[in-house]
Amino acid sequence: MKEYRLDCLGEACPIPLIKAEKKMETMAVSDVLIVMIDHSCAMKNVPEWARKQGHNVDIEEVGDGEWEVIIEKVK
Amino acid sequence: MEKKVEKYDVVIIGGGAAGMTAGIYCGRARLKTLIIEKSLVGGLATYTNEIENYPGFPEGSTGIELMNLFQKQAKKFNVDFKLTDVRSVDFTADVKIVETFRVRYEAKAVIVASGGKPRLTNAQGEAEFLFDKGISFCATCDAAANSGKDILVIGSGDAAIEEGMFLTKFARKVYVSVMHDTGKMDCNEIAKAEALHNPKMEFIWNTVVERFEGNERLETVVLKNLKTTEMVPVKVDSCFIFIGYLPNTEIFKDILPMTRGGYLLTNEKMETSIQGVFAAGDVRDKFLKQVATAVGDGAIAGYAVEKYIAESEMFETQILNHGYPSLVYVYNAIDPQSRDHLSLLDRYGTENPEIKVCKVDVYKSDGLAKRLGVTKYPMLVFVNHNRIQGETEIIDEKSLRTIVS
Repeated sequence: MKEYRLDCLGEACPIPLIKAEKKMETMAVSDVLIVMIDHSCAMKNVPEWARKQGHNVDIEEVGDGEWEVIIEKVK
Repeated sequence: MEKKVEKYDVVIIGGGAAGMTAGIYCGRARLKTLIIEKSLVGGLATYTNEIENYPGFPEGSTGIELMNLFQKQAKKFNVDFKLTDVRSVDFTADVKIVETFRVRYEAKAVIVASGGKPRLTNAQGEAEFLFDKGISFCATCDAAANSGKDILVIGSGDAAIEEGMFLTKFARKVYVSVMHDTGKMDCNEIAKAEALHNPKMEFIWNTVVERFEGNERLETVVLKNLKTTEMVPVKVDSCFIFIGYLPNTEIFKDILPMTRGGYLLTNEKMETSIQGVFAAGDVRDKFLKQVATAVGDGAIAGYAVEKYIAESEMFETQILNHGYPSLVYVYNAIDPQSRDHLSLLDRYGTENPEIKVCKVDVYKSDGLAKRLGVTKYPMLVFVNHNRIQGETEIIDEKSLRTIVS
């Protein structure tokens, strides 16, 4: 199991989502991707997209208006 | 993977206006409170750019700003927030279980404030272009990306027209597909008048979506004229759908009673038919879905939970008396005759210290009486070994002795 970090701080929609999608394609099952975001709209579409794909998703609020979306690739 | 277990007094599912208001009330009542939100705290309100009818903000506010204030207030009362989605619930026992991907939460009470999500047209090709492929539900999120582009808005309610007008600030052209006759819209009159005068907006009346077409991204939306059945292809860069919302209640199917549309049924205290489970906000079957009404629901649910938990504790310690004998007098304090018997019970209590005498006034709440299964007042109930051993409507010294023996 490998862990990857994707720095999307300062980036607006839909860039974090597109970056996350691209990165996930290169990863193996059970690898974990941590997407760092500070744009609230990415908080809506990144977790939503990941859950729709069937991945496990958890979110940590690391600071005021700063989040880490943790995605575990399941397939 | 073994799940971690965490205990709370109350778990609130959903961090929108209703959930956070319930959280403020629970937190302020010193209950250990958790709010679980699947994405961004603030819920549906954060999809609205302008909120101008929420009292106390004469200058208006954006949805995100207003919801940030809600969250700040909830945090002030030590409410915990967990950003993840709920996988399953189990409400069968007294201890309510809410499971997420990593944790199993055990709570004395649960408030369901899971809100809703945008309704789809279910037209052909829709699934292929959702979200980042051209079909959007959030003007605030995607307006800037549509600068100088052509956009189609589906719907004519407040959200559709207001968001449509917001989009005209960015887009070259905003087409609006309305299923009603020319000039008829579901939005408020002010928005309607403004929209009809907006030079960038063009209305296509009597139409619904037939199909979505494109390659990688959405290119054309084919509308169908309901009167003539004529197909109207509209070349667009993005399509925004604002045709209402569906409640997020899939995980409560066969667990909580709901309407055919999936909205949860509650009474005026926000109680569902399961003891200890409450519902608040847009997820409820109700007349008006607004931040202001969600706040009202949340306040009631938060208060009701506090009362429910207090009653549960009282039921355990006073009425069941940890398995030891107790004599329970259920009465209505506004009935003078019922009040007259109080001295008799007090005397009995002093003379028989081995039996706990407990007086339950149903005037403010009949919750404790319901738990005992008592519906007629006044009533005298004798409880021992956590079970009702006898009850009587006749309240005098003789019946007191009989029921206890």
